[in-house]
Formats: sequence, structure tokens, C-alpha cells
Amino acid sequence: MDKTDGKAMDFLHKIKAATLRELRLMRQRPVYLIASAGVMAFCCIFFLTLLRDGFPKDLATGIVDLDNSSMSRNFIRQTDATELGRTVGFASYTEAREAMQTGRINAFIVIPEGFYDDVLSGRQPTLTFYVNSLYFVGGALAYKNILSMVNLTSGAVQREIFRAMGMSDEEIMGKIQPIVIDAHQIGNVTTDYGVYLTNVLVPGILEAIIILVTVYALGSELKYGTSKHLLEKTGGSMSAALLGKLIPYTVLFTAIGAVCNLVLYGWAGFPMAGSVWNMMLGTFLLVLACESVAIFIIGTLPVLRLAISISALYCVLGFSLAGFTFPVEAMPGAVQGFAALFPLRHYYLLFVQEAIFASGFAGWYGQAVSLLLFMALPPLVYRRLQKAYVLLNYPRN
Amino acid sequence: MKRTISYTRQWLSDWYRIFTRELKHIFSDSGVLVIFFLAGLAYPVLYGLIYGNSCVDDMPVAMVDCCGSSGSREFTRKLDATRELHIAYSCADLPEARRLMQQRKVKGAVLIPSDFEAKLAAGEQACVSTYADMSSFLYYKNLTMAVNMVMLDKMHGSRPAQPVKYEANLPYNRTFAYNVFFLSAVLLLVIQQTMFYGMSMLTGTMREENRSFSIMPVQMKGRGISRTVAGRGAAYWLIYMAIGVYIAILTPAMFGMPRNSSFQDIFVLLLFYVSACVVFSMTFSSFIRHRETVFVLFLFMSPICLFLTGFSWPESSFPGFWKAFSWLFPSTFAVKAFINMNTAGAGLAMAAPQLVALTIQVIVYYLLSCLSYIVDAGKCGNGF
Repeated sequence: MDKTDGKAMDFLHKIKAATLRELRLMRQRPVYLIASAGVMAFCCIFFLTLLRDGFPKDLATGIVDLDNSSMSRNFIRQTDATELGRTVGFASYTEAREAMQTGRINAFIVIPEGFYDDVLSGRQPTLTFYVNSLYFVGGALAYKNILSMVNLTSGAVQREIFRAMGMSDEEIMGKIQPIVIDAHQIGNVTTDYGVYLTNVLVPGILEAIIILVTVYALGSELKYGTSKHLLEKTGGSMSAALLGKLIPYTVLFTAIGAVCNLVLYGWAGFPMAGSVWNMMLGTFLLVLACESVAIFIIGTLPVLRLAISISALYCVLGFSLAGFTFPVEAMPGAVQGFAALFPLRHYYLLFVQEAIFASGFAGWYGQAVSLLLFMALPPLVYRRLQKAYVLLNYPRN
Repeated sequence: MKRTISYTRQWLSDWYRIFTRELKHIFSDSGVLVIFFLAGLAYPVLYGLIYGNSCVDDMPVAMVDCCGSSGSREFTRKLDATRELHIAYSCADLPEARRLMQQRKVKGAVLIPSDFEAKLAAGEQACVSTYADMSSFLYYKNLTMAVNMVMLDKMHGSRPAQPVKYEANLPYNRTFAYNVFFLSAVLLLVIQQTMFYGMSMLTGTMREENRSFSIMPVQMKGRGISRTVAGRGAAYWLIYMAIGVYIAILTPAMFGMPRNSSFQDIFVLLLFYVSACVVFSMTFSSFIRHRETVFVLFLFMSPICLFLTGFSWPESSFPGFWKAFSWLFPSTFAVKAFINMNTAGAGLAMAAPQLVALTIQVIVYYLLSCLSYIVDAGKCGNGF
């Protein structure tokens, strides 16, 4: 009994020795803190300020007024007065097209010659509009805006006719727009683009930070040949060395993730249907999963220069394969399976369950298990990494 | 005259030596090769595959038809017939639909109230409610577009002759295809980012080996900056013109993306862009002290540069500071020019503002990289 106790105590001491050594390294080399806390701070500030409007305002819409009548001018004035955007006048179709081709405007409307006359005499003139859907957000918004503008104009003309026929406003609306749509956006009531992107980009950046910094910390021992010194500190125990080394980083990454959660759901007021504490748990699982991936990469390729390049490639793909912009189920089958290899994908699903649908543990335990499964990766490469640490038998540079 | 000739000859031979030496460095470094060739060549293909389907078609939604009339059934049928939606479930009430959404079996729900038909018959406004899963904006876009189209269709069928008709044209990206939108922006960014990372790795290696990256011909007493910068730069420039042609011209062709610009025009854009990327990378890589730290410290710049191109969030809504910040990167201008030229069919002349900006970057970053060489050579005692 005493013997095992003594052994456990001894093991803890070894871990402590490795941890203290790591803390000293972190103090000596500021790169660890800059690459984690510094990078995250910059990214949070960037996304929170860049997308602070949530919804692009004042998008320019071009108007080619070939009619120049009181009705077309009125149409332009009314368009300008709405929150749909400001209008820019163009003299000809070619001018407007060139402005759209160079991305200065997202869309333009052509009011045909004789528009006013045709409306008055019931000849149904056609408003033609062109939308540049290459810029997604601007294009989609412009499309929506113009559709409603055109329908408003059409409706306004009709309203005058129906009023003259003696109909009440209610009847008129039933005629002009028989069906209205009452849209509900679950999880993002204001269709805030900033909320949508920042919610997943910040954990994505966290994933990249964890993997890169962990690979760097573990690989530096190999590169600078200091792994023997580390193993001396832990009396030759690889598991103590690994645990001791990772403890300070796990604490650091979890703290960064927790601060991000507080910033997003507390300070910035992002919608959170569920509990922020469950998100904290999710963040912790993300940290563990990403560290496991990092150990796997450096264990498979115990050459820092290669491991870090591969990690970088992996992290960048993680953003796309999380499926928050383009959904994973619309990707080809093989890619869908590939997406499961990224912790961010599972974290994103967990986030949807908790923050959008508030389904709690019952809704996301599958994702939690998936994230935990990543922890099966390090044992696969443990021996190999140990060998590399002991023998330093890989090229350093 | 003689002096000029001998100077030129010396310049060229030095330049050639530095140029070949740099190529040797590049091709003997596995980490750099992974970044230049594996990333540079594989990423465009990977992105092409990932976004190959380009649209989310037949997205499953739940229908809650409380009315059960012929009108509401027609509305449901028409929704199901749209490209965007597929009525996967018919639910008795809203909570059931919400449960399905929570289980992620459907990405949205549509509710037709019980008074739908009666209101329409009475000439009053009927209301249809939609519930969109906002976890991806594409779900929201699909639901909104499909329901709006069915509504407009119904409206045009029922109301008296419309005073004004309209005609919608979405000339460059008719279906809001995601790959056209995303690939156009990301392709050119790959050039800048991989070049910067690779070059920084090499600079870091030289620093670690206590060499300066600015080894200049000794006999020139520090006057050999231009040939060193030009020699090193030419090595990257050569490699990246090849990779650039692959990325900007072959990849769009491979994935059937729109190509509304001629080979020559895109090639000219690449000439400007790759040159700007070379001097940009030379300037900023001179701050790198250790080869691996460039990824640890600067990988996050890739998504940030992507957003700074304004491909997604419109540039007109950027806060002033970030707009100015975006001017630091060649990608900001090149991506815009590429989108306009390759997909919207703008000519080279219409990309003039971007080309001018890239030229300014080439000049400024060239001077800055020369400056960094002087500083570095001074520090390392090399060349002077």
C-alpha cells in the first residue's frame, strides 16, 4: 500500500518538475504567450470591430433612369429614403455595368424610357435589374432589397388605382400582397452576420492556436535537443514529461477559451439560448481534442519543421470543413467523412445544439464523445515520440 | 563605358549566383517544399472538391399545415418543387417541427395558419410563418428565397394585372453558387500566404544558422543590395509565376468555374500580383527569427486577409482603420481584380485602380526590403 502511494507521489513530483521547467521556458520565450493570448486578442478585436454593424448598411445601388419623369424620380427618392441603401445615378447602362463589374455597386436598376406613360396607360413597363452575386452578402442583400423596392413601386401604383375605386386600405393590401411572410430566425434574430461568423471563427482560431503551439512546444525539445534534459528532470518518465509539459498549456488554452466565451456571450451580448457553462465545457473538450491531434502530428512526424507545416495545412482546412459557411451535408460524400477528423467540426455541432437550440447535454453528448475520442490518438504514437525524445534520432532541421 | 559594361557583367553574375543559390535553398528544404508545392498545388484542388456541389439543393424542411385546404396544399407542393427546398416532414404542430429542427433533421420549418384559405378568399392578407435554422446563413437564404418565390408566384397569379413588371438578371453567378464566390477569393490568397510562410521559414533557418539572409557580394562593400534583393526575389518569382498560372488559370478550368477573362489578362494581373507578393514577403519575413515561429505567430493572418479582401463582408462597411490596414496586403487588390476580371468579365483596363495599387506596393515594399537588408547585413557583419 505504502509502496504504491510512494510511487504515485513520486510520479506527481516528476510531473511537477516538468511543469515548472515548462513555466520557466514560457517565461524565457515570449513566443508561447504571444502566439496564444496575443493572437486571440487580435482576432477577437478584429472580428468584433470589422463586423460590428452586423448588417451592411448603405450599400450602393445604381439606377439608370432613362425615363426621367416625376414617377421615376419619385421612385429614386423613395428608394433613397429607405434603409435599403443609397442610390447612385448612372447615365447609361454601360456605365452602370462597368461600375458593377468593378465592384463599386452591387446591383443596378434600369428604368426604361416611357416608364411613366406606360404605367398610366396600363402597358406594363418592365423594370430590369442586374445583381452582382459574386460578393455574397452584398449581392444577396441587394437582390432582396431591389425585389422589395420593385414590389413596393408596383404596389404604390396599384394602391392609387384601387383607392380611386373606393376600396379600403385593408382590402387594398389583401389585393396587392395577398400573402405576407413572417420570418423567424432561430438563434440569430437580427440576422447579424458578425454573430454568425465570430461564433465559429473564434473557436476556429483557438483550434489553430492550440495545435500549432502544442506541436511547437513538443517539437522544440527535439529541435533544440533538450528532450534529454526534460527526461532527466522526470527521472526518465515519458508520461510524466508529457503530462507536466501539457498542463500549463491546457490551463492557458482553457483560460483563453473561457475568456472568449465570456467576451462573446457576456460582453458582446451574442445570443445564447443554452447555458454558457455548457459552452465552457465544450471549450475544454475542444482544448483536449486539439492537444491530442497535436501530439499525434508531432508523434507521427518527429521533425518540427515538417510537423509544423502539416499542422498549418490541417488547421486552415478545419475552417472550411467545420461546415458553418457551406454545410457539410452538401459536400461530396468523401469530404463529409474527412470533416469528422477535425475537432472544430464537432465543436461547431455542439455549439449549434447549445447556443441555438438549447438542447443541453442530451442534444450534444454525441459531439462530446467524438471530441473525447480524439484522445485515443496520442497512445498510438506514444512509443514513437518517446523513442524520438530519448534517442533524438531524427533530423533536427 | 567600359566600367559600365564590367559593372553590368558583375551585377549579372552576382545576381545569377544569388538566384541559383536561393533556388537551391528552396529545393533542399522539405518544410518549404511542403508549403510551396503541397499547399500551393493541393489547396486549390481541395477547395474545389469541398465546394464542388456549389449549392445546397433540396434542403429538408418541416411543414406545419394547420389549414389543410387546397390552397395551402398547393403552396406546400410548390415549395417542395423549388430547387432550394424539400418537404421532408409534415408536422401536426409547431413544437413537433421545432423538435425536428433541434434534432437537425430539418433546417427550417414553414407554418401555414388555419385561417390561410379563409383570409385569401375574403381578400385579406394571409400570413405564412417561416422558421430558419441560423447555424448557417445558407439555410436561411434557401428558406427565404424559396418561400418568397412561391409567394410572388401566388401573388402574380391572383392579383389583377400588374402595373409594373420586372426582370431579374444575376449575370455572373446565377444560382449564388458557393464555389464561384469562395474559390474566386481564396485562390489568389493561397499565392500570397504560402509564399510568405515559405520565405519566412527560409529566412528563419538562415537566422538560426547565424547567417544573414542578405549575404551580399563581399567586394561590393554593401552596395550589392539591389542584386541580392533581385536575385533572391527572382527565385520566388519564377516558382510562383508557375504556381500562379496553375492556381489562377488551370484550377478554375478544372472545376468548371466561370472564366470570362483571357489568359493574357489574368497573366498580366499575375505579373503585378506575384511581384508585389515577393517584395511583400521579403519585407515581412525579415522580422522572422526562427523558422517555425512564422506559423505559430502568423497562421491566423490567413482568415484575416481573406476577410480583408471584402469578398464576404462588403468593403464599404469596413471601419476606416481596417480598410487602411487591408491596403498593406497585395491580396486585397489582386483578389478584387481577379473576381472582377475572371468572373465578372471586366477588362484589364477596368482593373487599373488595383494594378496601380499593386505597383505602389511593389515600389514601397522593394525599398523596405532593401532597407531590411541593409539593417540585417549591418547586424550580422556580412557584406560590409
